[in-house]
Amino acid sequence: MSQYWMVVAILLPIIGGILVKVIPFPNLKIMKIYLEYIMVLTSLLVFLLAWNRPDGTLEVIHFMQDLSISFRIDGLSMVFSVLIAALWPLAMLYSFEYMEHENHQRVFFMFYSITYGVTLGISYASDLLSMYFFYELLTLVTVPLILHSLTRQAIHATRKYLYYSLGGAAFALIGIVFLMVYGSQIDFVMGGVLDLAKVGEKKQVLLVVYLIACLGFGVKAAMFPMGSWLPDAGVAPTPVTALLHAVAVVKAGVFAIIRLTYYSFGCDFLRGTWVQAVVMALAMFSVVYGCTRAVMERHIKRRLAYSTISNLSYIIFSAMIMTPLGLVGALCHMVCHAVMKICSFLCAGAIMHQTGKTFIDDLNGYAKKMPIVFGCFTVSALGLMGVPGLAGFISKWNIAQAAVESGRVQALLGIGCLLISAFLTSIYMMSIVFRAYFPGKNFSYEELGEIHDPTWRMCVPLVLFALGVVCLGLGSAPLVAFFNNVANGLY
Amino acid sequence: MCFPVLAGLIILLEKKNLSEKKLAKRAGIVMILSGVFLLWNILGESKSVLLFSLGTNLPVYFYIDELGKLFAAVVTIVWIPVTFFAGEYMTKEQDQKHFFGFFLIVYGVLMGLCYAGNLVTFYLFYEMMTLTTVPLVLHTRTREAITAGIKYLLYSLSGAYMVLFGTYVLSRYTSSLNFTPGGTLNQAAVNEHNTLILVCACLMILGFGVKAGMFPMHGWLSTAHPAAPAPASAVLSGVIVKMGVLGAIRVVYEIIGAEFIRGTWVQTMWLTLSLVTVFMGSMLAYREKLLKKRLAYSTVSQISYILFGLALLEPEALTGSVLHVVFHACIKSCLFLCAGAIIYRTGKTRTDQLTGIGKEMPVTMVCYTIASLALIGIPPASGFISKWYLAEGALASGISVFSVLGPVILLISALLTAGYLLPISMKGFLPGKEFDYAHLIKREPKRTMVIPIGILSALALLLGIFCGPLVQYVEKIVEVVL
Repeated sequence: MSQYWMVVAILLPIIGGILVKVIPFPNLKIMKIYLEYIMVLTSLLVFLLAWNRPDGTLEVIHFMQDLSISFRIDGLSMVFSVLIAALWPLAMLYSFEYMEHENHQRVFFMFYSITYGVTLGISYASDLLSMYFFYELLTLVTVPLILHSLTRQAIHATRKYLYYSLGGAAFALIGIVFLMVYGSQIDFVMGGVLDLAKVGEKKQVLLVVYLIACLGFGVKAAMFPMGSWLPDAGVAPTPVTALLHAVAVVKAGVFAIIRLTYYSFGCDFLRGTWVQAVVMALAMFSVVYGCTRAVMERHIKRRLAYSTISNLSYIIFSAMIMTPLGLVGALCHMVCHAVMKICSFLCAGAIMHQTGKTFIDDLNGYAKKMPIVFGCFTVSALGLMGVPGLAGFISKWNIAQAAVESGRVQALLGIGCLLISAFLTSIYMMSIVFRAYFPGKNFSYEELGEIHDPTWRMCVPLVLFALGVVCLGLGSAPLVAFFNNVANGLY
Repeated sequence: MCFPVLAGLIILLEKKNLSEKKLAKRAGIVMILSGVFLLWNILGESKSVLLFSLGTNLPVYFYIDELGKLFAAVVTIVWIPVTFFAGEYMTKEQDQKHFFGFFLIVYGVLMGLCYAGNLVTFYLFYEMMTLTTVPLVLHTRTREAITAGIKYLLYSLSGAYMVLFGTYVLSRYTSSLNFTPGGTLNQAAVNEHNTLILVCACLMILGFGVKAGMFPMHGWLSTAHPAAPAPASAVLSGVIVKMGVLGAIRVVYEIIGAEFIRGTWVQTMWLTLSLVTVFMGSMLAYREKLLKKRLAYSTVSQISYILFGLALLEPEALTGSVLHVVFHACIKSCLFLCAGAIIYRTGKTRTDQLTGIGKEMPVTMVCYTIASLALIGIPPASGFISKWYLAEGALASGISVFSVLGPVILLISALLTAGYLLPISMKGFLPGKEFDYAHLIKREPKRTMVIPIGILSALALLLGIFCGPLVQYVEKIVEVVL
């Protein structure tokens, strides 16, 4: 397949989104159908690109020397882009119904669509600078989405998000600059691009730089202590929190960390150094911290946001093991968690949309009224806990395998953190499930009023995601085999 | 094993409200058919089935070996009478659809657990078991029941996660996770990592110990078993806690291998904890006034008899343990069903309310007394046989303190058992002079409740008297495993 299709895939949702605002659609319904077509087309294109990978790098804009915006599809790109492509059209479908009674819908959908293109840009970027470009762009195009409701809370959350993200990106830039000096190139090559001759005595300096860059990207990846923007961003409309803050934006953060670690600095350079121990420790701490805050939190979306913080650090932990198996574990959880978390968030959104309730304590007994929503929520809850037969068990298994294989004591302690987190997860997820299904003996269902499941546009994505959790749980073998190939540099 | 699960699911999902009688009848039929399936499985050769793989290296694999057959038989033998009992008992409770649905599903899951051929399959069904038994515990939907259900869930999950940690590590250091007598540890890989494997063994024993109610993780038993409706308590105490035992046997004897743990701190820890539990459980039972809670503490104590026997790593002790699994299952289910019958007929739950109950419900109380005698260990009832083997094993093991301390504690506990079980019988049959004989009502429960109780208590007695074939069967198993 021609390389130019990569550019098409990126530009299609961007231009399509801009056109939403520009073209005077007669009514919203037609606009939505048009937009969904754009989404599906882009996704199909992405799948095709992954299937029929174009070779080589495509340089689109040339700045100077060897600085350019270029694209290439390697193994990691395939994983990330296919994941995004699978989830975006469904999330868009969901948001059609969810945003039905909101203002500024056109602007919302425009930016929702543009974000898709930008995220694809991140995944297709072939070198650090291109990735950085799209990374900053991602921050900018998601700001209007968080800001959407224009309430005081939203403005505050947006400001926090903006400052944190820009700050993080600045830190990351330091890493890029150093890599340009000490690396043979800034392209992504499995195993890293550091030129050991140039590095010479300066190893410690580079390790510090790596740490800074990691923390920089760690803002988006919601690592402690940089992740506190994520719970606040829960004020955004649910399609935004679900897709962006459980899947796209935060996964872009871990994606960047993986690129930095495996493809820029290189594992062999970093393995066994103090930086590995430090970042791994931070990740382990985030894992437990996220879950603990989640248990204490009573607001549904904030609880799930803390859960995301915790789960992202599983991915970072696995990546920090710095072996091919570690990468496999990281990729596995990246995919599994994305599906599980988007399912949970969309369920939470459905609950909020239908009942107007935002706090856990108000959810007693609703499972009887909204069986589909709570059914899917229970599936995602069991998945996050790691029940065998669902996605979470598989990804935890792979991470644990990597940790045990590495033989590092810290990694084994990490497994302990994972399991403590699983236990806490069961507390904070099952407490919602229990309230909804078992409200107590003298509960009067009539008080709940006329509540029912949302229409097909919200239910279908929910059910599909729940099915996804099950399928990943039962049939992950081909996927894991693929991850193994990616991790061993086959693509 | 799919059959009961499917049947349970169908019952759950049926929208219209079946009359209670029909529901109970259906459940009964399902169970009888399952019993037939079981016989068919047991009488055949050991077979194995690889169902599918959860992922690479995660096969869901069933292997029906002798140990599995025995456990499956125990589960079924207890389950069938309890189902019939439940048919009548649950007429006084609401929401029978959910109860019977989950009841049958749990049975199916337990079959899966017994037949599991490797650690992954075992873990899968172990988690399923926890999840499907929770609705049984919180069936009555009272505040107390829901709290008990959540406590049960969280304790069980913490145990399961400890086991999972062990599984993660062991999958690297064993040649395969299939259950093979003697263990599958890969010696070469293990050598420098002895401590790690020992830590894993410890965690897994503690993890399974949660389900089996070993100190210090016994806290859930005394809340969950009483809160559940009587048929559910019967199977919880009689059978489901045995799955923790099965897990311990499988992991210690068939994955890690008994030799690895013999003489290490892990064994000492296990012996200590189980003895402490034996004593503590009996003491707590002795002081407890609520009948079902008293029986729950008794379970805590009795299961630790079994765990103690396992920890000794001796053939006689293992024989005693496995025998006690069988006997205790029958005995404890019988006792819980009796308690249930009492509650059903009189609404009385405390032991001090039960004077004269023997006159009102003679058949039930006779069965209760027989089961009590069996539990205490009075010959020729079954408990005596298992305790004899346990004591023999303890003495033969030659482990410093425990070989003597073990039998001593067993004896003290037997005395305490008499102390907490017999007074009920005595006051029941011989209420004393001040009793109001005039207001006696004969309220024996219906036949569908009494017959199951009778069957179980008869088993408790007869398995003791005619224990020969059973003992030989178990000894055969032990020979292979140890």
